[in-house]
Amino acid sequence: MLFPQAPSHRAFRVWVRHLVYYRSFYLAEWAGNLGEHILWLVAFGYGLGRLVPSLDGISYAQFIGPGLMVSVAMWNATYESTYGAYSRMRIQNVYESMLMAPLTVGDIVLGDLLWCASRALIGSTLMLIVLSLFGLVGSLWAVAILPILFIEAVMFAALGLIATSLAHSFSFFNFYFSAIVMPMFFFAGTLFPIKGLPLWVERLSEALPLTHAVRIARGLFIYGYVEDFIWHFSFLLGFTFLFLTVACVLVSRRMVE
Amino acid sequence: MPGFVIDAQGIEKSFGTLKAVDGVSLQVKTGECFGILGPNGAGKTTTIKMLHGAVQSDAGALRVLGRDVATQSRLIRAQMGVVSQEDTLDRDLTVYENLWVYAGFFSISKKASLSRIEYLIDFMQLREKWDSQIKTLSGGMKRRLHIARALIHEPKFLILDEPTTGLDPQARHLVWQRLRELKAQGLTILLTTHYMEEAAQMCDRIGIMDGGKFLVEGPPQTLVQEKVGDEVYELRGGASEELLDSLQGLPVTTEIVADILYLYSHNGMGVMEHLISCGRKDFLRRPATLEDLFLRLTGRELRD
Repeated sequence: MLFPQAPSHRAFRVWVRHLVYYRSFYLAEWAGNLGEHILWLVAFGYGLGRLVPSLDGISYAQFIGPGLMVSVAMWNATYESTYGAYSRMRIQNVYESMLMAPLTVGDIVLGDLLWCASRALIGSTLMLIVLSLFGLVGSLWAVAILPILFIEAVMFAALGLIATSLAHSFSFFNFYFSAIVMPMFFFAGTLFPIKGLPLWVERLSEALPLTHAVRIARGLFIYGYVEDFIWHFSFLLGFTFLFLTVACVLVSRRMVE
Repeated sequence: MPGFVIDAQGIEKSFGTLKAVDGVSLQVKTGECFGILGPNGAGKTTTIKMLHGAVQSDAGALRVLGRDVATQSRLIRAQMGVVSQEDTLDRDLTVYENLWVYAGFFSISKKASLSRIEYLIDFMQLREKWDSQIKTLSGGMKRRLHIARALIHEPKFLILDEPTTGLDPQARHLVWQRLRELKAQGLTILLTTHYMEEAAQMCDRIGIMDGGKFLVEGPPQTLVQEKVGDEVYELRGGASEELLDSLQGLPVTTEIVADILYLYSHNGMGVMEHLISCGRKDFLRRPATLEDLFLRLTGRELRD
């Protein structure tokens, strides 16, 4: 075997483990998610939105809806791959017990990422339901965002797992959230358009993976069509593979001495 | 590999400047029970982690169940059960979920694992805890569940790292009794322990480890006989120069530890009579044990 830690179909068993745990608390989580989604939409879309003139012919609520949905996937994937994965890796020794069974680091990483993405997909789907109840989904094509959000969530979960493999305590994640995740959220064009801001902000925004997910979502939701889809999609896919590979290497280093 | 479950040749592992395992060679046959004894920091746990691939060796050759650990660790682990020293039970799951989820890691379906779980739950006396959360289990129950989990796939080889440390005597006896049953069924077992007498009863062979090396290796009774003797006399309150001089001609080895004089005798004839004739009646006479061997080889200073 050239890569003794390579992932395989056994990653599914890791995913099953997470699902079994999830069964014990999912209703509370769904209720919390729904409440949070509605709160964001009402507070920003309609509260703050009263002060905002229409943007490119759409209301402020319509503008932020797709962006918020894409952010929900990022936040969910990030929480699960940082606090959740750190607890499994360093505190509860779940990874260690898996490595005593015939699983590889690759199986564990892939299983964890798929799980983070599944959870993020559930959270985003709840958001999609809320958005459609508020009449903010203009095209049936909006459903096509779900597989793209899954890939986006795998990407952010892999990035979170990189942070987790570098962390020596939970407090490291405060830094990760304020240095990476929050700026990503604000500068991806979720809450305000980036066009017209200073050039360096525009360039920074173009380099953020979340920006490209937001563009795809906004296109699908409002027009049912995405300009430069191939470019945005390739950007997401490229970063997904990059983060996934780095995560595998770093977690291997952390788990096998 | 005719019949060798473990075949280690000069394996080494360093962490920074610390040489945790320093040229260990070990062969364990099918059906054998081998015990690794050693003070804290001797390299026992690192050696065990090398066997299941959690620690990679820097040098030497290591084959387990006929396969090379460096390249085929996953296939080895599919036929091996591991009970680690620290608690690695899944605290997010119940007792039953712990077992069937773990069975899944061996590609055993939930349905197929049920009869095995039924058997192991009874074997380890955990029936009334079937649906309990892990945090409600006592230390002994957790250890038994650990062992049950390591047996879920009917392994050919079981590794246990200090399976009885921290357990009360009742729990410890139950664990050792179950391990003896497994051994009788032909399972190959490798374990580490601090309980000398239990190791002496359970293990066909033991190895005493210190400083990352085996100091001696062999059947426990033979080792005690060869390296310590048959009997030990303990004299508390120290011994005078005269008494020590008068022991010169006798078949004994002496050791003074704080206020105790130990006499290790290879042929007890005459030692007791001699002590009495010297006016000493305050001695303890007992058979030599593995603990005597252990302390003589690894020294008596504390290891923390």
